[in-house]
Amino acid sequence: MKRCELIIIGAGPAGLSAAIEAASNGMQAVVFDENERPGGQLFKQIHKFFGSKEHQAKERGFRIGEKLLKEARDLGVEVKLKAAVMGIFDDKEISVTLDGRVEHYRANDIIIATGASEKMLPFPGWTLPGVIGAGAAQTMMNLHGLKPGSRVLMVGSGNVGLVVGYQLLQAGCQLEGVIDAAPRIGGYGVHAAKLARTGVPFHMSHTIKEAHGDTCVKGAVISAVDSSWQPIPGSDKFLEVDTICIAVGLSPMSQLAQTAHCHMENNPPKGGLVSICNKYGETTTPGVYAVGDVAGIEEASSAMIQGKIAGAAVSFAKGYISDAVFAARYEEYHNSLMDLREGMFGHDRGAPDPEHTEEGHPLSLSLLTKGYMEAEEILDYPGAYPSEYRNKGVSPVIECTQNIPCNPCQDACKRGCIKVSGKITSLPSVDATVECTACGMCVASCPGQAIFLVDETLAPGYASVAIPYEFNPLPEPGSKGLALDRSGSILGEAEVIKVQSSKAMDETAVLTMKIPVEWSMQARFFKVN
Amino acid sequence: MRIENHPILKSFEKGRLVKFLYDGQVMEGYEGEPVAVALRANGVMVHRYTSKHNDPRGVFCAIGRCTDCVMVVDGEPNVRTCITSLQENMKVETQFGITNSKEDEAI
Repeated sequence: MKRCELIIIGAGPAGLSAAIEAASNGMQAVVFDENERPGGQLFKQIHKFFGSKEHQAKERGFRIGEKLLKEARDLGVEVKLKAAVMGIFDDKEISVTLDGRVEHYRANDIIIATGASEKMLPFPGWTLPGVIGAGAAQTMMNLHGLKPGSRVLMVGSGNVGLVVGYQLLQAGCQLEGVIDAAPRIGGYGVHAAKLARTGVPFHMSHTIKEAHGDTCVKGAVISAVDSSWQPIPGSDKFLEVDTICIAVGLSPMSQLAQTAHCHMENNPPKGGLVSICNKYGETTTPGVYAVGDVAGIEEASSAMIQGKIAGAAVSFAKGYISDAVFAARYEEYHNSLMDLREGMFGHDRGAPDPEHTEEGHPLSLSLLTKGYMEAEEILDYPGAYPSEYRNKGVSPVIECTQNIPCNPCQDACKRGCIKVSGKITSLPSVDATVECTACGMCVASCPGQAIFLVDETLAPGYASVAIPYEFNPLPEPGSKGLALDRSGSILGEAEVIKVQSSKAMDETAVLTMKIPVEWSMQARFFKVN
Repeated sequence: MRIENHPILKSFEKGRLVKFLYDGQVMEGYEGEPVAVALRANGVMVHRYTSKHNDPRGVFCAIGRCTDCVMVVDGEPNVRTCITSLQENMKVETQFGITNSKEDEAI
């Protein structure tokens, strides 16, 4: 039996943040993780995060992971890897496999941060090699540099399905489509739009009926479903794919909380069986906390804050920080967490699907079902200038039309052209009186890649459109290609006239293309010929 | 199947290129990467056949959770190839039920 002060189970964003908070207050924290590498899923997340500066918005997940690891190491946090915790027993004792042996540790407090596992979807052929979890695709591509397949079907249109779908494109795979049994795209519209503009089709109200193939996947049959989720006869479609990626949600890995006799509840909005926790993340077993996805499925950003709250609560309970310090810290963390839970994708997921934004703009049904907005809809939102202003030179067009907790765009514009007023979830608005210098920082900073710079006065009959671009090879100025609209349809020929990239843009290049002026509010992607 | 030049990650840290045996056939992979990754890079999709129905199985979760990708590695059955690091001259065999031979399994 070995003793330590605080045991944390799971070295992902929640567990590491809890360890950092506790260690910075002077506690001795030991983190156990069953994996070979720490960081949880952060090192597979190569997209820019949402949120505000304090949530490390516009940072890529793997860079946040690197920071957390460094911070933990600098504070002397011990991270034990390949250490699978098998159970939590009375008096906060755990048993853990380490180097092929079972060892026992005891602590004063335990923080469970075990994360979640992927939900699965059984269908005929689902056990064929080639059917994989979305997490498996991320692991292969982003950790090991291997394409999971050549032609992929994504099942599930939540943020995981959309983000992994985009990463598949970045890895050089062909994404044959995204399907979802639900009638609306589940994830952020901006994530869907990134796929749609490259030509990826969305099939909402569709389910996968069958995977074809003898020894591995050779194709998939999808079928439309009616309002009671039943396949509609005669609606079958065959897609020639070699990989079927399943992204149908996550369930909390709460088994350890059960072994600790925590009171559990089945809470569908939180993703399933979770322990009942107070506002500090403490379960009904005193001194045992649950934070991150294991306490309810959310994002890595909120997991990190929950970890900090529990880390602070433990530190306070054991006398490492004063009443006043704890109160101040809790308030700061709590407010930051509440910001992330704002908006139409927020924590209150039992609510019916909204029809309007908080500002009263009708939501684009085209965006919700096909993944892109119609050109004429954009002007109904505060992110686009009316055309009389656009005629005066470069201006940003912000195609951010849902209330999501994110505001890096307003910090990106040093001239103050972009405002996210009031709440963090408010739609960004542009100030038509501020002159845009076309620096491109807003374009590169938007985690949703929803900002474009439009100049309808480039040359008689021609306009320029600057777009975010994260694919290889990066076109050079002068290269000719095709301008695609938001649906991925070809408009016609375009020429790249400027390519901006800098360290601050963090691998998001800003590509400016020259196009006929009548496409200025349509052209949103450049396809290399 | 390997990603040569990733737009965000650029390149991937890999060990040295080593040889290993897959069902008696010499293949190459990078030392330290998961066996399953080396196999997929060589086009191998089927890792095992189930005992009752002889169904093919391969990588599913890629994080050591589902156990679908188990194979016989250096003589040991039920090794999760997605979290087992590739070593030089490793002997990787398709698993039938819980052995490396179709015939054994039939008995």
